[in-house]
Amino acid sequence: MNITSFALRNIQRNWHRSLVTTGAMAFAGMIMILYVSFIEGIYLGGLRSALALNLGEIQIHAKGYRSDPDLYTRIMDEKGTLTKLSDLGLHATPRLFGYGLAAAGTASAGVQIRGVYVDLEKRVIKLHEYLAEGTWLDQQDAKGVVVGRRLARTLGVKPGGEVVIVSQAADGSMANDLFHVRGVLKSVSDEIDRGGFFMLETTFRKLMILPEGVHEIVIMRDGKKTDLKQETAHLAAMFPDYEVDSWRTLSPMMATIMDSSDTSIYILLLITYVAVAMVVLNAMLMSVFERIREFGIMKAIGFGPWQLIALIYTETVIQIIIAIVLALALGLPLSYYYQVNGIDLTNFVSGTTFGGIAFDPIWRTLITPRAVISPIVTLAIIALIAVIYPAVKAALIRPVSAIHHQ
Amino acid sequence: MSQALANDPKREDIVRLVDVSKIYRQGKIEVRAVDNLSLEIDTGDFCALCGPSGSGKTTVLNMIGGLDIPTHGQVFLERRDLASLSRGEVAAIRRDRIGFVFQAYNLIPVMTAYENAEFVLKLQGVSAVECHTRVMTILKEVGLVGLEHRRPDEMSGGQQQRVAIARAIVTRPAIVLADEPTANVDSATADSLLDLMQKLNRQDGITFLFSTHDKRVMDRARRIVRMRDGRIESDEVQG
Ligand SMILES: Nc1ncnc2c1ncn2[C@@H]1O[C@H](COP(=O)(O)OP(=O)(O)O)[C@@H](O)[C@H]1O
Ligand SMILES: [Mg+2]
Repeated sequence: MNITSFALRNIQRNWHRSLVTTGAMAFAGMIMILYVSFIEGIYLGGLRSALALNLGEIQIHAKGYRSDPDLYTRIMDEKGTLTKLSDLGLHATPRLFGYGLAAAGTASAGVQIRGVYVDLEKRVIKLHEYLAEGTWLDQQDAKGVVVGRRLARTLGVKPGGEVVIVSQAADGSMANDLFHVRGVLKSVSDEIDRGGFFMLETTFRKLMILPEGVHEIVIMRDGKKTDLKQETAHLAAMFPDYEVDSWRTLSPMMATIMDSSDTSIYILLLITYVAVAMVVLNAMLMSVFERIREFGIMKAIGFGPWQLIALIYTETVIQIIIAIVLALALGLPLSYYYQVNGIDLTNFVSGTTFGGIAFDPIWRTLITPRAVISPIVTLAIIALIAVIYPAVKAALIRPVSAIHHQ
Repeated sequence: MSQALANDPKREDIVRLVDVSKIYRQGKIEVRAVDNLSLEIDTGDFCALCGPSGSGKTTVLNMIGGLDIPTHGQVFLERRDLASLSRGEVAAIRRDRIGFVFQAYNLIPVMTAYENAEFVLKLQGVSAVECHTRVMTILKEVGLVGLEHRRPDEMSGGQQQRVAIARAIVTRPAIVLADEPTANVDSATADSLLDLMQKLNRQDGITFLFSTHDKRVMDRARRIVRMRDGRIESDEVQG
């Protein structure tokens, strides 16, 4: 007797019950895929945006700049450095930093003035896509600036508004100028939200009277799958006169969050999976116990206990396969929808930061291999375990008791 | 008297029950469904187990078929002690040596008449071609031609019972155990079912042991064993 075709026939002829069982599993699988991809989106997304919006993966500074960010502590050979990096296939952008006081109307705030190489920065950092209002810096608009979200609120400015900057220039003179706001950023990080004041590199140099050198070079390895540690060490060896650090060193807090989030993901997953296991177990129990009389007749006329176990398992495996296909067919588009559109929680939370990382109030999913594989594997394992009890019970029950089973 | 039968060397018993009791416990109440009963059935017999409802007929048939185990005593089928066999071995005996017809819920609901009749043959590993020939022959014999593709819920009680009988005999078992095979059918159907069973008994030498409390069915039996309260009340061979 061919157990597989028998199992297929049972599934097909009992399509009503099969629908309930596979439906329950598929639904559970879909929820898990959605859930895991949300977790991936929130954690990995948080990490990615922190890296993609500001930090980059590796940064180069002049020796001593990080411990004392002084206007004069610069990388003087930025051109040569950039060429070497680009020869390695790395995207990099230099930055300039200064500090000053911004004033608009009666309001004022301390700001971190950032000189940006617009064309280069765009290739490395995605900040230009992250505006809440207005537009990003433009090469043609020398006096146009972009400001952090809280800073805009503190100063009471919107795109089009004017801000005066006062600072001390490199030659000791007083630097001051009037700028107009081009854009306001979304929540990026505490530092940028409160004090980020972005202007063109050329404008920065004029304001601060700093014609040469840069303070920072930010590197992203887009697409390059090399080990971060190795790459950093390699660059450090290449540029012995500078300090080369990976984001893990630059933001140990964030590294800790990211590492511990792995554990919390598994705890959260465990909770969901236990709930899912209940649903699947229930479906499996029903599917077997509803048919105990049918199995009793089959046993009474010579169907062996092992054959019965094989039959129930074959049915389960077939249903698992169908459920997985359905779960993917439903879960992936749904996850993808939320990857594109997100759930907007702006009305409930406003730009939450955690350990310096801004968590976007729009929750998005992120479909990673883990978000797909772990729900599927878990679903299959849960179903295969869940069916042990009813299968063994059905195999052991005496045919008479089964036939008289209510 | 049963002692006398057992000692007769010319007789070959297919079923032998030795001091069999079956006690069901329901909470604190004990029900003695079968009470210290001994019985032999000869190969080729056409034997009716009679008695009022609750007298233990079904329990006896179930124990003979290894569907239920006695609380005390031994059950031999073709001289093999069922208690000494594993579940799998008993299942194989049911598959190859016994045909069952239950009082109700005989058929596998997801299968058609044809598939139900074919089921045990497939379990035995009979080839598809031979399955087909044998099933169609039997279905014709029980008068179900044209209904092969009906599911149990699309058939009358009598038709279902015929499928059950077809399934019980299609494997050419040594013995058919039929529990009130005519209880749920009209008298015309009952007659035709009995004709069929009698014919198979004479023609193929299949032993039949059936329970009944239907007078007309009893009249057809060669031997009538009457039960009451789990004991044998009388045992007679009809002329
Ligand atoms: N599974 C069971 N649990 C408890 N009592 C049972 C069970 N099966 C049968 N009995 C009892 O055993 C007795 C004999 O039942 P049964 O063999 O079905 O009689 P019959 O087939 O002659 O009507 C009855 O009193 C019945 O109630
Ligand atoms: Mg009965």
